[in-house]
Amino acid sequence: MSLVKARLRNLIARQRFARRGLHPFAQANLHALEGLDPERPAADFRYVALDLETTGLDPQQDRVVSVGAVRVVQGRVRLGEVFSELVNPGRDIPAEAVKVHGITPDKIASAPHGALVFEDFLGFLGRDILVAHYARFDLHFINRVMNQRYGFPLQNLVIDTVLMCQALVLPSDPYGIGRHQQACRLESLAGRFGLPQPERHTALGDALTTAMIFQRMLARLAEKGGGRLKDLLRVAMLK
Amino acid sequence: MEEFHWQRILEFIKATVPFDGLGQDELRQLVSQMEVAYFPRGQVIISRGGPASSFLYFIQSGSAKVTLPDPAAEGGEILVDVRGEGDAFGALSMLQGGPAIFSVTAREDLICYLLPEAAFRELAARHPDIERYYRSSLARNLQAMRDSAQCQLPHMAGLEGVSLGAALVRSRVRELMSAPPVVCLPATPLRAAARIMTQRRVGSMVVAEEGARPIGVLSDTDFRVKVMLNAKSLDEPVVEYMTSPIHTIAPDAYAFEALLEMSRHGVHHLVVTDHERVVGVLSDRDLQALTGGSPVGVVRAIDQVTSVDELVRLHPSIDRVLEMLLRMGGAAREMLALVTEFNDRVTLKLLELTEQEMEDQGRGRPPLPYCWMALGSEGRREQTLRSDQDNALIFTNAPAQREMRIKDWFLAFAGRVVEGLVRCGFPRCEGGVMAVNPQWCQSEAAWHKTFLAWVLKPSPQTLRLGSIFFDFRAIYSEADFLENLALHLKEAIETNRLFLRYLAANALYNRPSLGFLRQFVVEKGGQHANQLNLKLSGLTPIVDGARVMALDLGIAATNTLERLEQIAAQGIIKTGLAEDLMEAFSFITLLRISLHLEARAAGEVPDNFLDPERLNNFQRKMLKEGFHVITDLQTLLEQRYQTRLLM
Repeated sequence: MSLVKARLRNLIARQRFARRGLHPFAQANLHALEGLDPERPAADFRYVALDLETTGLDPQQDRVVSVGAVRVVQGRVRLGEVFSELVNPGRDIPAEAVKVHGITPDKIASAPHGALVFEDFLGFLGRDILVAHYARFDLHFINRVMNQRYGFPLQNLVIDTVLMCQALVLPSDPYGIGRHQQACRLESLAGRFGLPQPERHTALGDALTTAMIFQRMLARLAEKGGGRLKDLLRVAMLK
Repeated sequence: MEEFHWQRILEFIKATVPFDGLGQDELRQLVSQMEVAYFPRGQVIISRGGPASSFLYFIQSGSAKVTLPDPAAEGGEILVDVRGEGDAFGALSMLQGGPAIFSVTAREDLICYLLPEAAFRELAARHPDIERYYRSSLARNLQAMRDSAQCQLPHMAGLEGVSLGAALVRSRVRELMSAPPVVCLPATPLRAAARIMTQRRVGSMVVAEEGARPIGVLSDTDFRVKVMLNAKSLDEPVVEYMTSPIHTIAPDAYAFEALLEMSRHGVHHLVVTDHERVVGVLSDRDLQALTGGSPVGVVRAIDQVTSVDELVRLHPSIDRVLEMLLRMGGAAREMLALVTEFNDRVTLKLLELTEQEMEDQGRGRPPLPYCWMALGSEGRREQTLRSDQDNALIFTNAPAQREMRIKDWFLAFAGRVVEGLVRCGFPRCEGGVMAVNPQWCQSEAAWHKTFLAWVLKPSPQTLRLGSIFFDFRAIYSEADFLENLALHLKEAIETNRLFLRYLAANALYNRPSLGFLRQFVVEKGGQHANQLNLKLSGLTPIVDGARVMALDLGIAATNTLERLEQIAAQGIIKTGLAEDLMEAFSFITLLRISLHLEARAAGEVPDNFLDPERLNNFQRKMLKEGFHVITDLQTLLEQRYQTRLLM
């Protein structure tokens, strides 16, 4: 999708949903696409790298149990601007999922419910561009809440780091990324780029890894002579 | 206390000096103000002359080089320092303010944790010791800058045992010499000279012609020894009593080079000249201030002994001086040269004493001119401290009827020398490669035959011997034996180039342990008590590879670094690869020397095994890079000599 198309949709959403009584964060979200000049260097914009831990991999059935996000400004990850919350999914967490993220039911018994955490996250995100690994998965959960609560999906631009890796690493690396789906997993890429081990397998740790992969791909994009926002969007914007 | 979400990063910062003294709370606050940045290889992070740094950069992974533009070469640069994992940069530039003094460039893909300037200043205000730490590193950097032109390695290598960037390699002659020099004319009377020396409180003066061209040195010792004994009157001119010829050194030379020069010639004074003009005098006392002892004194002592027993008694002090010098640190090449210099001197003295002993006992002088050859690492000038003997003897071709008697004399002679070397701390060669072995004590013609046979019929045994013998060097030679031998070897190889291919295949036998290191990097916690053989997996492949190509190209040098230089000059390997190989070789050698020194300090027998756990990140990285370069060399050998086809 192009920025133009996103703007068009945003315009429609604004006309349909901008109303009194809309939550201020949601109201603000309708203006997420303002001030984006596609000709400016991509590194000049603000990004939020996000990772969700869920009860499972089925977007229809499963629920979010933790949200981690970290902000990237001027191509640098700000360790002080983080969002890290547990979410009460309101249902059981399967044992396999507990094995992955180590979040046990008793840990989240006192955690707030998804909608509340989500509202806070929307505040944290502001107008920044959202970055995620396999972003469609995360975006699905976000939009489910967005649609339920406000009637419209997230308006921010969304960048998928998997698409970035496929576009920027694949051509010079015929045997690695892209050839096998496995090679695009977050851990595989982190290992491949020699990124430091994240803080266990937490949403925030994975968000940092995602941010660092994004950071590296952004540099790669600039090296190839296409460091403008529109070059980034062409390569990795989620439809 | 609630768990901090960037605990790992916190631990990382806490592990870097001078942040190791901070408390958890303060560290949490610091980390929360940090940013993570990525710089692709080659990106300039701080630009010399540009704005001051606005961050303190902690290197999480990768390395960065600190450089200055080279005034001598357009577009060239002088490497001031290399910073690796766990190091920091940018502090100085921040503290100094104003335009940056050095450029910092990513040497490989770099991930850094950045502490913004405001946070750093606040911290420095609270902790004066942190500011002091970085201020003092300015001095270190400036020092490094002065040295950087030639000594890029010393301050990067070494375990705890070897102090990094020691005084001897850091200091230039210019800084140590007495200047301006006290000079007199050749015609100056002794009396006047003595008065000047007393007045100026110097132990020596330079005798120079008009126009300042130096021709000799007159020292206290000359007064004590020559003048007191021989002078008829103090009106005689100094030219009759001065020590001449003189040995000179340039003001920009390093103290280490001066030491080598003094050791080589057994002199106490060097005249420092700049374009043939005297600018100062450097005495061994000036160097003693740096070394805390007198290496030159020991060299003199070796020269003055009159019996093998005395020489053996000297052995502990030789060891002490050598060890002290090695502890001072320095570039690998110089350190190896120094060890060789001392060992050569002991051997030479032993040859001289043994000849005398044979004569005194009625067995006569050497019946024919001969040459005492050093082989193996000794032949390559690559010994570290004491290693096993590897030697052989050549004597001039003799008439058949006398050959047996002559060989008997040389065998008896070699037997005594080898025995003497053992007593001086050089163990016998377990493989029997010593001149006392009749096989390795032969006439010139016999040696030519031996080498020819090896080259024409390569076998595992002869290839192994070749790898020891073809690194021959004369310690003492009364004729041009070795030049002839080298010529014969070259011709032999030209008639059977297949030999080179076998030798190359042999050189590929020892492979660097790449997998080992990779595994090691993963197993950071590591309970693996794995050890790495520095010699076999690091040095031997380079030494063997350089030998094959040197023999191929008819390069007479046996020293690995020299061989590599010359091979590169002939264009067989790229200059870049040759430089990398030389750096790898030097680095691994330094590691090995420090390993040996540590073992000795702990009263253990030195070996070549290194526990990689004990390397710091940077050393590990260097080693890993070194191994990669060695692999490149081996690939090149494989291709050039088609070794696979031999299998």
